[in-house]
Order: sequence, then C-alpha cells, then structure tokens
Amino acid sequence: MKKTAIVALAGIAAVTVALSGCGRTEPGAEGGDDAAGFAADASIGVALPDRTSENWVLAGDLFENGLEEAGFEGDVQYAGSSNAVGDQQQQIQQMIDSGVEVIVIGAADTNQLATQLEAADAAGITVIAYDRLIQNSDLVDYYVAFDNFHVGELQAQSLLEGLEEKFPGEEPWNVELFSGSSDDSNSAVFFDGAMSILQPAIDDGTINVVSGQTTVQQTATEDWAAENAQNRMDTIITSSYQGVELHGVLSPNDNLARAIIASATGAGFPVPVVTGQDSEVASVESIVAGEQYSTIYKDTRALVAAAIDMVSELQAGEEVTTTGESDNGAVEVPANLLEPVIVTQENAAEAYAENPDLEPLTQP
Amino acid sequence: MTNDVQERRGFRASDLSMLAGKKGSLKEFGILGALVVIVVAFQIATEGTTLSSNNLINIIQSQSYILILAVGMVMVIIAGHIDLSVGSVAAFVGVVVAIAMNDWGLPWFVTILIGLGLGVLVGAWQGFWVAFIGVPAFIVTLAGMLMFRGLNQIIGQSRGIPVDREFVNLLAGYLPEVGPFTGYNNLTLLLGALAVVAVVVLELRGRAKRVRLGAAVPPMWVAVTRLALVAIVIIAAALLFASGREGTSFPNAGILFVLIALAYAFVTRNTSLGRHVYAVGGNRRAAELSGVRSRWVDFFVMANMSVLASVAGMLWIARAQASGPADGGGWELDAIAAVFIGGAAVAGGIGTVAGSIIGGLVMAVLTNGLFAIGVGSDWIPVIKGLVLLIAVAIDVINKQQGRFSFIGLMLRGLRRGRSNDLS
Repeated sequence: MKKTAIVALAGIAAVTVALSGCGRTEPGAEGGDDAAGFAADASIGVALPDRTSENWVLAGDLFENGLEEAGFEGDVQYAGSSNAVGDQQQQIQQMIDSGVEVIVIGAADTNQLATQLEAADAAGITVIAYDRLIQNSDLVDYYVAFDNFHVGELQAQSLLEGLEEKFPGEEPWNVELFSGSSDDSNSAVFFDGAMSILQPAIDDGTINVVSGQTTVQQTATEDWAAENAQNRMDTIITSSYQGVELHGVLSPNDNLARAIIASATGAGFPVPVVTGQDSEVASVESIVAGEQYSTIYKDTRALVAAAIDMVSELQAGEEVTTTGESDNGAVEVPANLLEPVIVTQENAAEAYAENPDLEPLTQP
Repeated sequence: MTNDVQERRGFRASDLSMLAGKKGSLKEFGILGALVVIVVAFQIATEGTTLSSNNLINIIQSQSYILILAVGMVMVIIAGHIDLSVGSVAAFVGVVVAIAMNDWGLPWFVTILIGLGLGVLVGAWQGFWVAFIGVPAFIVTLAGMLMFRGLNQIIGQSRGIPVDREFVNLLAGYLPEVGPFTGYNNLTLLLGALAVVAVVVLELRGRAKRVRLGAAVPPMWVAVTRLALVAIVIIAAALLFASGREGTSFPNAGILFVLIALAYAFVTRNTSLGRHVYAVGGNRRAAELSGVRSRWVDFFVMANMSVLASVAGMLWIARAQASGPADGGGWELDAIAAVFIGGAAVAGGIGTVAGSIIGGLVMAVLTNGLFAIGVGSDWIPVIKGLVLLIAVAIDVINKQQGRFSFIGLMLRGLRRGRSNDLS
C-alpha cells in the first residue's frame, strides 16, 4: 500500500519536473515588430474561406505553387462550409502558433477575426487582407484586391449599354437589382458602385425597378447562394411581372446571374440583360452563346501574383507597392487595387486571350 | 460487522475497469481511450504541435461553446427529445446582446443578464410547445431554427455588430498575470493545484463513506493509481495551459465550461431532477406512474438547452468580437454528434455529461489535428462523418444480444469478474 503511494507520488513528481522545463521565457525577449525583412524561406500562412466558388479553389492552388516558386513555405488552408468563421479563426491561430511571418487572409466573415488579428499583431506577424477587406480593425497591415467599387460601376454601365442594345427606344426599361451576401463587406461596395450609375437613371425615369426593392438589405442574397437568388427572382416575377416585360437584372456575380436567368426563362420570359462577375466557365459559355450579357474578369492569377509580390517585398524589407488606401471603418489600410475588366460577347476573345482555361471557350 | 468487507489484495484484470471510476461506465472508458489514441496519433503526426500550450488554448477557445451546448444537448437527448435550434438561438441572443452593447450603449454586465433572460424566454417558448401542447421537439426546434435565424438577420440587418472590449476580455480573454514571474501563468497553476486537492479529497471522502456504510470499495492500489493518473493529467494540463504565450492562461471560456460541466454532471447524477430526466427518457409511462411529472421534465430540458445556447452565443460573439448573420451555423449538429459519440442512445434514457464532453473533445481534436496536418476542408467533414457513424455502430453492435463481438466479449468478461468480486 505504502509502496503504491510512493510510486504514485514519484510519477506525479516526474511529470511535473518533465513539463516544468517548458515555461515561458522572460517577457520582453521578443524581437521588434516591423523589423525590415525576414528569412527568404519563411513560412507564409494563407487562410481562405470555404470552397464555394471556382475562384477560391483556383486561388488556393495558385498560392501554393506561387509561394513555393518564390522560395517560401506556403501553408494554405480552407475553412469548412458548415462553421466557416469558427474554422478560420482556429486555422489562423494555428498559423500564428506555427511561426509564420505573414498571413494572407481571404476572410470568411470580414467582421469576426479581430481576436486573431490581435494575436497576429502580438506575434509580430504581418496581415494582408486578400480580396475582402477585414473591417473595424486597425491591425490590417495591407489589402490587395480588385477595385470593387469600380466593379459595380462597370456592371451598371454594361447593364445600361445592354438595355440600349437589346431594347432600343423602349424606355423606361424594367429592371431588378440583386446584391451579394450581407456578411461579405464587398457586397455593399459592389452595390454602391452600381447604384452610383443606376440611381440617376432611376431618378430620371430611364429605368424602372418594378418591385420597388432598391436597398442593399432588400436585394441581399444570403451566403451568395444561387438558390436564394432564384427564389427571390421567382417571387418578384410572380408579384410584379404579370403582363409586364422584364428587360434587365443587375446581378453581382455569375453564379447568381445564371440562377436569375433560369428563373426568368422558367417563367416564360426571354433572357433579360443580366450582368455578372468572376468569369465562371458556365457564364463565359453563356455570354459567348448570347444569353448572359456581361461578366467581370478579375484575373485571379494577377491578384494572387500581386499578393505574393507583396510578401516578397516584405521579405526583402522593401517598400510595399500600393495604389491607394481603403477605409475599413477603423483605419485607412494601404491597398494595392487592381483594375477589373468588363467582358461581353464582343470582347470575350480579347479579354481571355491570356487565360488557358477560358480562352478555348471563346473560339467558335 | 465492519469487517464484513475485506479489502482484497493482489491484482486482477477486472480491477483495471475500476480505474474508470466507480460510477464511470465502460462505454466512457472506451471513448476516453479513443480520445487518447487520437491525441497521441496527432501528437506524432504534427511533431508535437497538438499538445503544445498554444494549441491546447486554441482548442478550448474554439470549442468551449460547442462543449457547453453538448452538456445541454445530452439532457435533451436523454429525455428522448432533440434540439435543432441551438445554433439559431445562440445567433439570436448574440445579435441582441451585441446591439444592446453597441447601439443602446448598455454596460456589458447588463447585456449578459439580457442575454440570459432571452435564453430563458426562448427556452420557455420552446418548452411550452413541447411539454404542454405536445408538438414533437424535432418540429418545435426545427421551427425555432428557422425563426431565430431569421430574427437574427432582421434585428442585425445582417451586419457585423462589434461588442465591447470588457465583454471580450471577460468571455474570450484570459486570467490576469499576478504574483512573481515564474515562467507560468500563476493563476492557472493555482487552479490546477485546487483541482488536484479537490479530486483527492472527494475520492477519499467517498471511499470513507462507502467503508462506513459497509459497501464494497475497490482495492486501495486501484484508488491510489487512479488518483495519481488523474493528478498527473491535471498537473500536466495546468503546466501546459500556464505556459502559453505571454498574457494567456487557461481561457476564461474554458473555466466557465468546466463550472457548467461540473454543475450539470452533479445534477444529472446526484439530484432527483436529474434522475427524473433519465426516468422519463427510459420509460415515460413507468416514470409517470411512479409520480414523475414528465411534462415539467420536458419543459425543463428544453428551456435549459436554450439558456445554455444563449451562453454559447455570448461566448461566440466575444470570441469573434462581433455578432454576424451566419453565427451558430451547424452548431446543433456538432453538439448532437458529440452526444452520440459520447454513448447516448437515440431512443433516450441513456447518456452522460462526461461522455458527451469526451465525444465533443474527440471531434474537436480531430478537426484541430486535421487542420494542423493540412487535410483539406473538403475531406474533414467526410472523416468526421465516418467517425460519428463508426462510434455509434460499435455501440449498437455491442448492445445486440447473442451476436459475436470482440468488444462485447471483453466487456462481459470484465463485468463477470467484477460481479464475482463484489458478491
């Protein structure tokens, strides 16, 4: 009996001693925050949201290859779709703990990563917001994205051009508006960009939003889900388009554009003028076939390359290339904003000439 | 007469099962074993990252709200019901609390009371339909899942709403650094020491009581070995949690979770209310005939679940520092999976708080480890789905009488050994 107790106490003591070696070091031992540059083979974390669109999957592959080519060790992670924000928080924390130098974040929710940014800041890690600007935090170091306000402007312009082209002299054109998921800070930016062009046209009676739904909340499509867009379009057609022609729809991206076209044709309408974004394969085919009117080409290759260039500049301790600043509600984040390209049937071949996946689709 | 019960000497294989505890079932022992295997496997695969201080803190921070939901969910499931609304209820409470802080400017402690109050109201609403109208809980909470998700988005207008710093520090923060510099978070060490003392005192008092009553006690070496093992685990955990990066400790959310888990483990095992939940779930008619007010039991488990969901919702918005329209997505399924992996029966009547927590930890460590070794987010749900299926399948096979099963054989052998000893 006594023997057992002695053995037990000895075991406890052994574990205590064995583990007590792993305490913290004295505070203040850590290096400075933004010391110029870091090791050329440093490890770089890339946290992307769930795989809901082709673009994120492509971006992940490009990051993995591009970081490796640039000599870094890339750690690319996607969040799961059921609990995307929680997964991403955990993944970013793991990247911080594993000692990365830079974390590139395509946020699953642009409002809910503040705790992780604080941890990254405390560890002296540079945070680059990729494609989606993380909101209300002064700890976002850089932002790299396409100019999303300009995306909205281009969408609205192409909508008006398409209406002029397909329904000349039929003003006022009947138009419906869709915006993206409300937990994505870009949704409002696209929509505001588009409304900066469309609002004057609504005011002077050139276009008529028959349903009367013109705010970003009314037009939101939760989770960017095609199903939600299709349901909303079905409902609007039933309630507002009995005996009324539907001329055009502002759609924030391709996935929703195709759902909207499906809804309109399902209800027996001819295909309206529908905008889009992302240059998804199915939509490029649709544009070439003369159905969807336009899309936006944001070359993911160019964007990933810009992000990796930024990492390389940080590594070398050089000044980071930026084109301006973006307001995230807390600070003006230094940003490198790339120019988007509008694509219609007319310029598809030219716009996708450099893209090996899309170029063949534009050949007759 | 006190000498009727002799302390046995020497070793028997059946004594090993007693290491799981005098009340712990072998099923929990099995799932605990699975957890240990998973932890060790990932510890090797990640070359030591899994059991690093920062990663353990990360796991607790990112899973405490799911584990709290699992504690409530196991009682719902024991009573023979289900709750699909917990994620939406958490999101609904979260957005109201965030708005109360951000838009109405109320101090954080008032908003916590508002959150708990809302949890009680929502729970009373769902409990009312289940217990007194007799609508199946599946339907009531499916309705709740839809309604409270919608209410979250109506109230929050699908915005991200930031919360106060004090609120974040309390619910998603850490214990302060006090006392001399020891290389550890001193308060975490203190908590660990208190836990060891509590475990030893409870075990020895329980043993003394059983001896006094003339009940059988396991041999002393079993008790000492078990205490030593538990103490080693607690001390190791305390040292690890105390040695994370500067400013961290065992997370506040984890402390809250441990308190809730202890309280509910006590309620389910040692109070008449807890036993009534098992009785209603096991055989409703028999329980009613024995005087259990089954409707109030139903009302209690449903209401209680929503209150715990409100706690989970507040923990979440503190961790995310903002409420959002997609909060709580999929939480109900995580909590339900934890409960079933932990050995609860779909038909009700069977299940434990401890088992559900271990089940939740299995899923948590699995997710964390798969992230760490870089398994894609497309494969993780496939793996977790298989784990759930296999865990429950093993359980089902074990219960089928007369069918050969290696585990069943082992269990029977152990059980026989034990009953012989004690007779």
